[in-house]
Parts: sequence; C-alpha cells; structure tokens
Amino acid sequence: MYAKFPKGAAHRTDPGAAAEVLYDAVVVGGGISGALVALRLSEAGRKVLLLEAGPAEDLTLRGYERYLDRFYSAISKDNQAPYPAVANAPMPRGTDARRITPGAPDASSYIVQSGPFATDTTYTRVLGGTTMHWEGKALRMLPEDFRMRTLYGEGADWPLTYEDLAPYYSEAEREIGVSADVEDQAYLGIGFDEDYVFPMKGLPLSYLDRTVAKDVDGMPVDLDGEHRELRVRPFPQGRNGIPNPAYDGGRGYVPRGAVSAYQVEVGERCQGNNNCVPICPVQAKYNAGKTLALALQSGRVDLVAQAVAHKVHVDESTGRVTEIEYRRYDRPDSPGHTTMRARGRLFVLAANAVENPRLMLASGLRGSSGLMGRNFMDHAYLLAWALLPEVAGTFRGTICTGGITDLRGGRFRSRQAAFTVDIHNDGWGWARGAPMTDLIGLVDSGGRYGESLRQGLVDRVSRQLQLAFMVEVPADPSNRVTVSPDFTDELGNMRPVLSYNVPEYTMRGVAYARQLSRRIFARLGAEDHTAYDPEFWGYAVHDGEGYEIRGGNHLAGTHVMGREPSTSVVDADQRCWDHENLYMVGGGSMPTVGTSNVTLTLAALCLRSVRAMLAQLDSETAPIEVTTGRDQAATTSGETAP
Amino acid sequence: MIASTIENRDDLVSYLNAAMSLEHATIPPYLTAYYSIHSGTNSDAAHIIRVTAVEEMLHLTLAANVLNAIGGKPDLTRPGFVPSYPAYLPDGEDDFTVDLRPFSPEAVETFCKIERPGKAPSADSRLVETPDSRTHFLVSSPTAEKMRFYSIGEFYEEIIEGLEKVAANDPALFHGDPARQVGPEYFYSGGGAITVVTDLQSAQQALRFIAGQGEGLDSGIYDADGELAHYYRFRQLQLGRYYQVGDRPDAPSGPSLSISWDEVHKVKVSVRLADYPAGSELARVARDFNADYGAFLALLTKAFDGRPDLLQEGVCEMFRLRDGFNRLVCNPLPGSGGLHAGPTFEIPAGAGPDPGVSPDAGATDETARTVTR
Repeated sequence: MYAKFPKGAAHRTDPGAAAEVLYDAVVVGGGISGALVALRLSEAGRKVLLLEAGPAEDLTLRGYERYLDRFYSAISKDNQAPYPAVANAPMPRGTDARRITPGAPDASSYIVQSGPFATDTTYTRVLGGTTMHWEGKALRMLPEDFRMRTLYGEGADWPLTYEDLAPYYSEAEREIGVSADVEDQAYLGIGFDEDYVFPMKGLPLSYLDRTVAKDVDGMPVDLDGEHRELRVRPFPQGRNGIPNPAYDGGRGYVPRGAVSAYQVEVGERCQGNNNCVPICPVQAKYNAGKTLALALQSGRVDLVAQAVAHKVHVDESTGRVTEIEYRRYDRPDSPGHTTMRARGRLFVLAANAVENPRLMLASGLRGSSGLMGRNFMDHAYLLAWALLPEVAGTFRGTICTGGITDLRGGRFRSRQAAFTVDIHNDGWGWARGAPMTDLIGLVDSGGRYGESLRQGLVDRVSRQLQLAFMVEVPADPSNRVTVSPDFTDELGNMRPVLSYNVPEYTMRGVAYARQLSRRIFARLGAEDHTAYDPEFWGYAVHDGEGYEIRGGNHLAGTHVMGREPSTSVVDADQRCWDHENLYMVGGGSMPTVGTSNVTLTLAALCLRSVRAMLAQLDSETAPIEVTTGRDQAATTSGETAP
Repeated sequence: MIASTIENRDDLVSYLNAAMSLEHATIPPYLTAYYSIHSGTNSDAAHIIRVTAVEEMLHLTLAANVLNAIGGKPDLTRPGFVPSYPAYLPDGEDDFTVDLRPFSPEAVETFCKIERPGKAPSADSRLVETPDSRTHFLVSSPTAEKMRFYSIGEFYEEIIEGLEKVAANDPALFHGDPARQVGPEYFYSGGGAITVVTDLQSAQQALRFIAGQGEGLDSGIYDADGELAHYYRFRQLQLGRYYQVGDRPDAPSGPSLSISWDEVHKVKVSVRLADYPAGSELARVARDFNADYGAFLALLTKAFDGRPDLLQEGVCEMFRLRDGFNRLVCNPLPGSGGLHAGPTFEIPAGAGPDPGVSPDAGATDETARTVTR
C-alpha cells in the first residue's frame, strides 16, 4: 500500500493566511509525535496547523532519494549524514562531541555542552524528525519501569501503569507497523491482550545472532539472589516484514511502503540493507512521513515548513497559551525571515525532549515546579567488542536483529542500572568504524590488494562481534536543558545548553555490563579486543576503571509527567499543569527511560493524549443549551469555529 | 463467434503453462531496461519500470496458483520457457518484436505496446491467423494450430471462459493440493496481492486481476484498487507527467517527471552470447549470469511445486542476479561499436530441478508443446 502526500503539501499553506485562522490545534514539530497527534485530531474532524522547522521539500520519492545520494557520497556515515544542515534550524551531530574542560562550556556546535560529561546524542530536524534516522527497535517498557520508586527506591513512579498504556502500545504498533512475535516478547511481565498478534511476523535472527545464541543461550547469571539464564531474543522492529494474517481478529495488516507525492510501490518489505541508521534506502523502515502523508490527505491539516517556533505567548491571568510566535525563513541558506503567529484552541509542543523545554525556557516559562528542562535522560551506551573464533557472517542483515533482554528487570535495580544488550550485525562499526577502518588498515599497513585484500576483509570483518549495552539513566534534576541569551542561532533563537553527568547508579550498571561482556566472550571463545581510550570525549572512570560512554539519542525526561503540579511539569495526559490548553508531548514526559528505545513508548503516550485533547476540545466548544421557554430549546456553539 | 479453443482440463493446463511463459517473457525486457539506467539517475523511470517488473512476477505466481489448483505442475525449466529475444507479441500488428533493450524511447514504446489495452473489435476476431513467416510468438494458442490472440487481455478472456466451461462438466476440476498455493505473505513491493486459488471464482479473480493490472481492461486508467494500469504508467514516461485521479488518458496533470535518456548504459539490443568475444572474461560473466538465471528458474519451479517457503531464498538469489546485471551492463562489448554488454537470457540446458516423479504426468506432456518457439 502506498500513501500519497497531497501535491504541494509543504507549500500550499500560506503562512499569512494561516495566521488568520483559529485552528483547533497548533502542533510544533513534524516528527512522530506531531504526526500522530495531527493524524488523530484530523480524523476526528479537527483542524490542525503543523509547524515544521526543517525545509520539508522531501515529500516526493525523488526528494527522499536526495537524502540517499547525500548519504552515499558522505565521508562520515553518521546519523545526520543524509540530512541537510540548515543554519536556521540547526541540529546536533554525533561528530560534534568534544571533551569538556571543567568550567568551559563547549559551544562549538548547536547544543552548548556545560558538562561535566560530554554526549554525542542527536536528533534530526527534518520533516519526519528523528524517525528518519532511527533504527526501528520498538520495545515496550516493562511494567516495573513505571514503578521504579515504589519497587526499587530509584528514579520515579509514573502516574500511569503498564496496563494503562498497553492498549496504546498496541495502537502505536499498528501505526508504526511493528514486526515481532508475541511469544518472543512476553517476558519480565510484559503482557499482551489475549489473542494479540503484532501487525507483522517477527523478523528472523541474523546468522551472527544464531552463532552467538548457540553458546549464550542458557548461560547462567546470578544477581542479587535471582537466578536467570540468558537467551538471545529477536527485537520487535518498526520495519516491514511478513504481514500476520491473524492480525486484527483475522483481518490482517497491510504494510505501508514508501510515501511520495505520486504513486510508488516500494518499501513494503525489509530487504536486509545494512543502513537502517541513518536511512532506509527503500522506506521499509517506518518514518513519520508515512503518518504525515495520511494526516495531510485529510485536508484538515495545514503544514507550514521552514517555521521555527520562537516564543510561546501566555495570557498572564489565565495561564492559557494565546499564540505561538514563529520565524519563517525564506531560504534555508540565508537568515532572512518573517515573524508570524499561529493561533489555536490547543497548542501541542511535539519538538522533542530538548527542543520542547528549550522553547518554553526561551519564552520565559520555567514552570511553577521549577522542573522545566530538568531530569534530562538518555541511554548510556557501553560497547564491547571481540573476534569470534569462526566466520559468523557479520555485516549480513540489518543493523541489529537480536540481543539479550534478561537483565532489563529484577531486584538488582535497587542498586544498579538495568540494560538491554544489542548484538550488532555491523560488527565494530560503532566502536571502531568498521569496515572502513579495516579496509584502510589492510591497504595502508598490510599492503593488500585484489583477491588477498578481499579475503583479508572477509577474515577480519566477518568474525567481528560487538555488543552494545544500553544502560538506563535515572532522572536527576541536575541533568538539565537550559537557555542563555549568550548562545543563539542564525534566526536569533536561543540554543539549548545541556548540563549532563552520568549518575553513579548508571555507572554501576556499566561496570557490571563490562564484566558480563567478558564472561560472554569467554563462553564464545572470542578474543576480547575491547580497549577504552582515555582521550575519548566520553571517557568516564568508575571504581578505578575507565569506560567509553556514548549517547543513545533516546531523549527523555525534561518535562516529566506526574500526579502533582509541584513534582512534575505535565499530567498523565501530557497537559501542562500551568497552561491548561498546552500539551507538551514526547519523550520529555517520561519519568523513567527504562531499557527500551523511547519511540514506541512516546508514540503510545501521544495516542493516549489525543483522547484528552479531543475531550478538551469537545468540552470547550460544546454546544451550550440555552432554554428560552417551555418548548423552545436552542443550541449555540460556545465559540464559533472559523 | 468462433468455437472455443478450450475443451477440457488438458487444454486449460496448456493455456496456463502458456500464461506463465508469457508473464515471464516480459520480465527480462523490463529488467534489462531497468538495470541499464545509471545508478542514482532517472528515478521516476526506474521506479515505474521496477514496479511493473515486480507485478509481472506477481502475475507469474498467480498463473502458477491457477495451474496448481487444477492439478497441474508448473515447470519454468522446460525448454523454450524463456523465449529467444527478439520475440513477437500479438497486439493486432505483425511488425514489432519485443527486444532486450536499454532504457530508451524505443524500449518505452515497446512496453506500451506490450501493455496496450487491446480489446478485439468483436468476439470472433479474438483469434487471428498466424502468418507463416513468424515463429516467435509470445501468445499463440496452444491448442489451435497457427492461431494467436489479438491481445494479452483476449488471451486471458479465453482462459476465463474456458475455466467456466470445463468446471461446469468437471466438478473435481479444482482438486490441486492447497499446500501448493503461494499465499499473500510472499508478495510485496508492488500493487495487488496474491490470490490463493481453490475454486472457479478465485481462479477467475486471479486471471482478471492479471489482465486488468496490465492494460486497465474496461476499467479506465486506474483499477478498482486505485492503481494505475501498467500501460498508463509507461505513458507517463512518454507524456512527461504523472497521472492523478480524474485525468483523461491523453492528459496527465500530476507532477512532472524528468528523464535523461543519456544516463543509461547503451546495452546492445537483444545481445547474444555469440556477440561476446570467445574466451573473454566478459563472456564468462554472461554465461554465469545465464546459469544463475537458470538456477533461479529451477528454484521457482521447486517453490511452485509445493515449497512456497523457498520464495524467501529467492530474494537473495534475485540480489545475485542484480549483481550479475550490474557486472555486465557497465562494460563495453568489444567489437560492438561502443555498445555495452548485457544478459542474453540463453538458458543452458540442465539447469532444471532435481528429477522427480511428476504428480500429474499428463500435464508435463502438455507443457512440452510449448508456445514460445
């Protein structure tokens, strides 16, 4: 199935005309959160204005292929390699990270880093947002992730339980198109409705996964008096696989392929290309463009691109948001812009966990709880790498198909952080730049060429095993996003300033992860090549041991949800306690980040919040019954829609 | 109206074997044009050709499902299954052949002719006489000697009517093992879906879909699912614009598309192994391609012989064929005035599947009476 963008979707809405309209909702950000909210509101008949900071000229397949061309020709194949750098809506890049000297913030790139710990965490500011470069792992959180404070005395409790969110997880799995098998994913309390199946069947484990599984499956681990046996398990993925005919009570599921302004049929099934990150060549991987195309087809969603939100205006007496002031730049390569305003009944900030608080703080809205921008979370990644005793087919398959999830939960979490372990099908790519570094080594130092070079490469890269430990980071109020008038971008918007340190709790998990990696490598008979460079920008020392810590681009926690206005920024519906018609949606609302990649959870949260938005729109615009006489009843709208 | 050429199940088997051969015969020309395009260029054209080729693979599978449903045994390895290019195609004219061509206005012209809506002026002109001089027809009647069809659409109409007629006299016509059917989970990246064939209705549905997706027979430029028929997809390349809903056939009004005819490897038209310098590395690669292609057809034969799961393995093999294509088309062919090499699709004998006992000997006998040479 293909979904078409309406012709000229990005440009047909004249910002001047849009300024005259009172929309039901103004949504800031065209990533997965904004796309889902816009789609659902428009399906309910509501009129939505979507503001996207990026140029959004990529609504045709050809536009998407320009991303691919840029990626293919780029020397650095990092997360942002395919996407145009636009100074008017800058984005962080993994290659930006520098070691931070204490007391001297690193302002050399978009995110100003105050440290003490440097991070390479990124997000993508183009239409479709970070789902353009995401890997597609779509893990549900564990029930215990929602009750961390009660169960383990660490982190925070959510105002929601797993059971509250479960139906929205199912809905998000439909929207994203998740491939997985329930029997692989029901563990550590993750529950599914009876008869539930994922939209598509699970994607197969790679040969490398199966090679690792041969020795690792059944490996005993005793931790805090709990005995468990490890198992290599496939990950649920937002990539198209074989539709499950049993889905939706036997009605089946139709995968959504590539989107474009004209009819195309491609991307309905993953082909096993190995560059899901930073871009799927065929759009078999979900990106929010697929949802946006549907939203824009409704005719009730207007999209204004090149529109960077500048200030949220609030009525001082009521606290309600009155408008969002944005700067619309004329050209991506010049700072010339027009200041515009967007008016709506509801406002939805769907920018992400850095840009949402950045905009609020730049608008002088610090929140009555003082928590706006605080409790920034991400995952801390520890990599460990080794050479297997035999060729294991590394570099075949997509980037990651399987891993170890048995240490995501358990009593040990009262002391140390939990983690998920990824087996990387791209070998030592993340840790040491394989296979390019291997190629350069064989040519420059080995003097190899021709057949001998080809064989040398096979010998070297096909035995590579890299484990990536995705370690949870608990909320800490001193990890925070702030702004400062000293740091602005081309359009005069204040840039985010990040203060971040990896908590001790996380470092205890990191240290344990390294120990476990040694045991796993020993069991596999693999040669451990892991060595952490003290000069690395993310080098962190714990108990005398040093580690390289990387960011996970799993941004969370900067406008946490809670039950009380004094301890949270938004309520369980992601509505701001301070501003009754303002919703801040996305990872920023999450009180804990757990050990799952955040996209599926934040998508479920958005789908759940739409219900509250619609109820609020209904109640605030409900017909009011005015009885004027015994047999006369007139209804009138509370406020007339434009 | 002339008499039906389908009298019994054996006639149906012959026709369905011919249908599989016909559907397959369009794929090498599409793939040759597709892979001749310089990587990263001509995106619009590449996608249009690609999706059409993929949908021809769907048609091939649907024809196999119908054949399996009536107890036949598809065999893509029999001699003559792959035509010798150039091959003639009946569209009411006798003066054009289907060649293996690089992407070019001539290639697009041929694709339009292959997919052109072709309803015979009247029912009795569905079959027309074959001129004696022509032998390489893609669609001739397997049962009526020296006759061929006015168009591919008419060919399928004959089978659809024949199925009804034979089924009326033979209640057990659809006795094929359901486990031999290829299910919808094996097709993707194109329009339409696989129909599992178990009875007359599903058989006719499958064949109507093939005819409709190619030519848009009776249903205008879009089919019932809102998909553009193949003919009109190619017309977009000639007219320079995409169609959108509501357009007249001669005036697409969608976004413009761009074509650069020069960003193409100029592959020698319908190149043969004999054109390759004997003993050259290039000749070896061309022969390897043909052997790989033969092995791929053998794999498909096994898949259609009760092992549909083998189609997943087929995906990897198709990537292998892609690599083979790319190896050939980027090389000039010595002695051909700068024209490039390309696959010849001369499939060596012996690339067939493991010898096995046919579940239906009658069917294999029929298939020997091939239609393409």
